[in-house]
Amino acid sequence: MRKRSNRAKQLKVFFLFGLLLTLILILIVSTVGRQEFNAPHKLAFEVIGTAQKNITTISNYFTGIWANYTSLINVREENKRLRDELQKFKATNNEYREAVATNVRLAKLLQMKESLPSPTLTAQIIGKDPSEWFKTIIIDRGSSDGVQKGMPAVTVEGVVGQVVNTSPHYAKILLATDPNSAIEALIQKTRVQGIIKGTGTAYDVNYVLKNCDVQEGDHIVTSGLGGIFPKGLPIGVVSNVTKTRRGMFQKIAVAPSTDFSQLEYLIIIMKKDSLAK
Amino acid sequence: MVFSLLLLLGIFLLTLQTTILHLLPDWIGRPDLLFLLIVYLGTHLDIFKGAALALLFGLLMDIFSGIFLGLHPVAYLILFFILKTIDRHLAITEPIHQVPVVALSYLFTASSIFIFASMLIDQAELNWSWGKIILQLLILSTICLPFFNLFTWITTAFDPKNRQNPFRRARTGNRFRA
Repeated sequence: MRKRSNRAKQLKVFFLFGLLLTLILILIVSTVGRQEFNAPHKLAFEVIGTAQKNITTISNYFTGIWANYTSLINVREENKRLRDELQKFKATNNEYREAVATNVRLAKLLQMKESLPSPTLTAQIIGKDPSEWFKTIIIDRGSSDGVQKGMPAVTVEGVVGQVVNTSPHYAKILLATDPNSAIEALIQKTRVQGIIKGTGTAYDVNYVLKNCDVQEGDHIVTSGLGGIFPKGLPIGVVSNVTKTRRGMFQKIAVAPSTDFSQLEYLIIIMKKDSLAK
Repeated sequence: MVFSLLLLLGIFLLTLQTTILHLLPDWIGRPDLLFLLIVYLGTHLDIFKGAALALLFGLLMDIFSGIFLGLHPVAYLILFFILKTIDRHLAITEPIHQVPVVALSYLFTASSIFIFASMLIDQAELNWSWGKIILQLLILSTICLPFFNLFTWITTAFDPKNRQNPFRRARTGNRFRA
C-alpha cells in the first residue's frame, strides 16, 4: 500500500514539473518567435479591451462631469474676481473723474483768487444751517487761519456772504440770501446804486428810485462802498422790476449768480481791518 | 448717565442734520431730528434734566443756525415748560397723543422763532413758507413714534439704574434671608 502511494506522489511531481516546463517552453518560444498574438491572446485582449474601453468611457464621462463642475467653480470664482476688478476700476474711474472735476473747480477758484485783492483763503463748506429760517454755512477755516468776523466770502460765480462767527478752526458765514444780509450794490449798466437784501432764496435791490432805468436782465455787482466787498463782484441778474404807485422806490427782484445749492468751496477775502467790527 | 447719553444723542442728531440730511432733495424735506428729541425731553424726562438739556441743545443750535444767539434756547425752553405743564394734566406720553403733540409743538416753535427773529431783524422780514412748514409737520408726524421708541430704548438700555435695562447685572446673594 505504501509503495503504491509513493509512486502516485512521484507521478504527480513529475506531472507538475512537466507542465511547468512546457509552459516555460511555450513562453520562450512565443517571446523569441513572431511576436504576434495568437487566437487566445486576441480573444482575451478583445474581452479585456472592451471592458477597459467601457470603463474608460464611463470614467471619462464622470471625470468630464467633475472637470466641468470644477471648471464651473473656477469660472464662477474668476467671474466674481473679474466683477470685483471691474467694480474697482469703476470706482477708480469715478475717483479720477471727481479729481478732474475738483481740479477744474479749484483751477477756476485759483484764477478767481489771482484776480482778487490779496490775501485770500480757500475754505471748504462742512455744514449747512439746519433750520428753515436762516441761511448760514460752516467752513473749515477759523480764527487760527486769520479768518475774522465781517470778512467777505465769494466764489467764481460771485458773492456768497460774509463771516459772522469764528472759532479757532471753523467759521460761520451768513449767506447773502439770508434776510439779515445787506450788501452795497450797483447796476452794472446804469451805475445806479442800491442795497441788496436777501429774501431766503434770492435777493431784492432796495432804495433804487423810480426814475432810475432798471430792466430785466441787468447785471448787479458789488459797489465796493462800505469797504467789505471789493468792487465789481457779480451778485446776480435782475429778474423782475415792479413800480408801484406809492413810495419813492421801485421793487427789484434779483436772481443770484451763485448757485447756493452747489456750494462746496469758497474764497475768503482776508482784510487787515475788518469794517464789520 | 441718561443725561450724558441724551446730550451725545442730540449732538449726533444735530451733526446729522447739518451734514448728511442736507444731501436730501428739497421735495423730500429734511427732518428736524433734534426737535423730536426736544419734544421727547418735554414728555419723558424730569424737569431738571430736561430743562438743562433743552437749554444746552438750544445753545448748540444757535452755534449752527442763524445769527441771533439766545433765540433757540428761549424757544426750546418755552416749549419744554409748556409740554411739562400739559403733561401734568393730559396723558401726552400715550402714543396716540404724541403725533398731534409733535405737530402742534413744531407749529408753536416755528411761530415763536419766526416772531422773535422778525422782531430782531432790522428792516427785513422772514419768509413764512406754508409749504415747507407742512412738509416738516408731515415728516415729523410720520417719524416721531419710531424715534420716540428709539430714544426710550437708548435711555433704558444704557441706564444702569433702570429695571428694564437688559444689560443690567442681576444682584447676587441670598435676597430672601429673613
